[in-house]
Amino acid sequence: MQTAPRDKAARTLDIEDVTVRYGAALAVDGVSLSIEPGEVVALLGPSGCGKTTLLRVVAGFVRQASGRVRVDGAPIDHLPANQRNIGIVFQNYALFPHMTVAENVAYGLRARGARGPEIAAKVNRFLETVQLGGFRDRLPRQLSGGQQQRVALARALAVEPSILLLDEPFAALDRNLRLDMQIEVKRLQRTLGLTTILVTHDQDEAMSVADRIAVMNRGKVEQFDSPVAIYDSPRTLFVNGFIGSSNLLAGKVAAIDGGMATVALDAGAVLRLPAPSGLPESGGVLLSVRPEQLILSAIPGPELWRVEPGLSLPLGGQLVHEARTADGTTIKIAEPRLAAPKGLPRVYCGLSPDARPSLFPRST
Amino acid sequence: MKEGGKLSLFREWQLAVPLALAFAALFLAPLLLLVGVSFYNDEKITQPGFASWLKFYGDPFNYKVIGDTLLLGAKTVCTTVLIGYPLALVYLDLSARLQKVLLFVIVMPLLLSVVVRTFAWIVVLGREGVVNSVLMGLGVISEPLKLLQTELGLVISLTQIEMPLMLLPLISVMSRLDPNLRDASAALGASRWRTLFTVIVPLSMPGLIAGCLLVFASSTTAFISQTVIGGVRLIYLPLVIWQQSLVVYHWPLAAVASLSLVVSVLSVVAALSWAGRRSGGYVNG
Amino acid sequence: MFTRRSLLAGATALGGASLLPGLAHAKGSLIATTYPGSWEDAYRAIVAPMLKKQADIDLELAPLFAMDQIGKVKAARGAPPFDAFLLDPGPRIVAIEGGLFEKFDPKKLTNLPKIPEGFADEHGVCVSAQVVGIAYNPKKLPAPKGWTDLLKDPWVSRLGLTGFQTTFGTSSIIEIGKQFGGTLTNPEPALVELNKVLPKVAAVGLPAAMPGLFQQGQCDVMFTNTQTVATLKGKGVDIEFVKPESGAIAFYTTMHIAKGTAEAENAYKYFDLVIGKEVQTALTPAPYNFLPVNKDVPLTPDMPMKSLDEMAKYINHDWAQINPLRAGWIEKFNKEMAK
Repeated sequence: MQTAPRDKAARTLDIEDVTVRYGAALAVDGVSLSIEPGEVVALLGPSGCGKTTLLRVVAGFVRQASGRVRVDGAPIDHLPANQRNIGIVFQNYALFPHMTVAENVAYGLRARGARGPEIAAKVNRFLETVQLGGFRDRLPRQLSGGQQQRVALARALAVEPSILLLDEPFAALDRNLRLDMQIEVKRLQRTLGLTTILVTHDQDEAMSVADRIAVMNRGKVEQFDSPVAIYDSPRTLFVNGFIGSSNLLAGKVAAIDGGMATVALDAGAVLRLPAPSGLPESGGVLLSVRPEQLILSAIPGPELWRVEPGLSLPLGGQLVHEARTADGTTIKIAEPRLAAPKGLPRVYCGLSPDARPSLFPRST
Repeated sequence: MKEGGKLSLFREWQLAVPLALAFAALFLAPLLLLVGVSFYNDEKITQPGFASWLKFYGDPFNYKVIGDTLLLGAKTVCTTVLIGYPLALVYLDLSARLQKVLLFVIVMPLLLSVVVRTFAWIVVLGREGVVNSVLMGLGVISEPLKLLQTELGLVISLTQIEMPLMLLPLISVMSRLDPNLRDASAALGASRWRTLFTVIVPLSMPGLIAGCLLVFASSTTAFISQTVIGGVRLIYLPLVIWQQSLVVYHWPLAAVASLSLVVSVLSVVAALSWAGRRSGGYVNG
Repeated sequence: MFTRRSLLAGATALGGASLLPGLAHAKGSLIATTYPGSWEDAYRAIVAPMLKKQADIDLELAPLFAMDQIGKVKAARGAPPFDAFLLDPGPRIVAIEGGLFEKFDPKKLTNLPKIPEGFADEHGVCVSAQVVGIAYNPKKLPAPKGWTDLLKDPWVSRLGLTGFQTTFGTSSIIEIGKQFGGTLTNPEPALVELNKVLPKVAAVGLPAAMPGLFQQGQCDVMFTNTQTVATLKGKGVDIEFVKPESGAIAFYTTMHIAKGTAEAENAYKYFDLVIGKEVQTALTPAPYNFLPVNKDVPLTPDMPMKSLDEMAKYINHDWAQINPLRAGWIEKFNKEMAK
């Protein structure tokens, strides 16, 4: 795992127990996040989860009902948006349509009372940084989506903000351009060592750009962790379901001893698995396991359960099989395309040796 | 444009033909008639000639009347902008429910006849009207202010009467502005005033100009309000037209005065819309 | 190029189409003009219902000053927007010269014997008389004695003026002018004197706006006719009528049939009803105070005259002389009064 280089100029950003109400509804419900200098944190979640609202609290566009936001330890809650020195790039870029590219980039510098030569130098520098030096006199509508986004980025960076906020910045770009821009933003952010929050609903984007991800749901942070930890050990069913794709198998805890739980799956197998703390010693559980961590076998075994094979679809480098368990659950099994052996039908399913399944108590 | 199937044989311009005919019959023909009538010398419309034009434009008084008419339009435009623009900004910040209420309040004057609105202003501005009773009751003034029969009173009432024409185009353009632009400006360190003058005003210019255009054209031709509230000592072109056509029956002179009103108002309107086109491209861009 | 002929043809077609609806000419209907204000109030309240009841004619009233009626009919060119005129002497002459009336046959009026001789002729029938003088608010001002008082304090600063657009306005300004050496054909001295006190004058308005301005207290003295005074009094306004020392102005009000109308017969029925005893009796007392022309209807005590025989003692203006000069006076009035 990579960590961002520590830059002297980079700031910490602390969000402490922030709550935002819209009328009676809680848009953000007691969120706390500590973000390290130069770190990129993704706020990831479905629409309506409060991630954009939280971003707008940091930017100063929305006032929180309670809680604090600190930059380098100093509270900024009392400051209006125009005194926070926080850069933001909007999903639709929000470029000023009546100004040229250069005027857009110069806007923040002028607002801060910078002088002509300084403005010109910085505009040139940041337009070069985003490789748009030749476009300075164009109007935004004369640019492609990717170019507009680079202008928005240059505009936000030109004022040398202490924090950079990115609100779904790649959502409007097509797939290929999106990857290029993600790499470019990451490169810029690292060069400048800017503490950055990225709001996104795209888990791949969060995984590839962020150092840490805060998965949000219904105004709360469900898990705040590195992408690998979030993927491999989701702490809640929501995170488990939201990140990657996974199979959920119902079962019952038969016993817990020595940190290992004995689980009888409804599909017809008994497994011994590491028990997460707080798992009740009896009662229903859900076993979550990624498709690529399941295997198919032609030979039965105690830790295998019988399945009814369905369709098989090639997906990129993988072959994904759909199958049905005895209790009627549909599961997906993914394996390298070339691994499927010929011969007996493989109707027994089980965990692969390197599987990292998760257990969640089943609510009744 | 490339032509595709059979339907496109029916060219697009043909669809506009009925409208063009109606326009020609209902607008162009009367206008040409007006031009024709203006080139007669006498009331009975028997001797063609330029005498009516020469008489009208040989009298310096009429230049003052034209000037006063245009000035009245300009003043009304100024007051509707000064009050309407902030009101439009307030409108943008309201909740959807309050926006509906405000919109209703804005449109309501349009539902009332201009005669009713005008006579209501007599009650408000009169010597014993609401304004004077309140001010005298508060002891602010000891003598009633003269508001009726003054240009001030006329501009005040025209401001209310014409306000919907300013607000509706303004609100329609402003509510199409990307709200993120204001946030983007603030995040870049701009104060609210800088945001207003460098972002919101330039981008709402098409609506502002459309509003100015409507208010100007409407207030310069508002015969009822001009004569009932302003009285007949304030002489604007519509009064002259009315006198010449319906009191003196000198139609050629009335036609000259009408054409003078049309041309002078249209030239200001044309200048405004030229300015509007120059600033108009950005909003949809 | 346009020939005059084609221009006029176009004007007729457009004028006819754009003015009052022709479709109102259903069986048993009549469109008649009336003066805005007291005349309109009275005719709506009294005459229209009676005409419906007695002759089954729907009376549609178009409130227009006399001058406006002439303008509308001239504009319509042969397709009159209404069937019957209500006119003062000045516009009556203009209309006769313009040939805007159908020839009138007084013998068709059953009530003809009830009105004084000469009250009906080949042009139309006289239905009332108007007396013009000064009206003032007795709670705000002492009673003015004559026209010259209007230009002096305390009256001048509460004075509401109208110009030469109407008969009562024109007549009043002529009378003011006479007090300063003017004549019937030269009201100029009045304008000179008015100009001297103009900054003090409370209101200079359109005739139609004057009752409203008086009611709202914008002006407390004005020249007007007795019917307007009676109507305002009926609405609870403090107003009294004064006959100027030099004499009040009186003129007859006449009704005429518009040339080219299809409703001439209904118009005769309407005129006959208007001069009949029933209508005249109803219109005579307050709040209408219309001077009756029917011999069977006595004048009321609060009227400015005891009988129509006194008309001769009032000031009568010769509108044949006034009419050709009025356009020039209006222009002059504009210039003298303009701010």
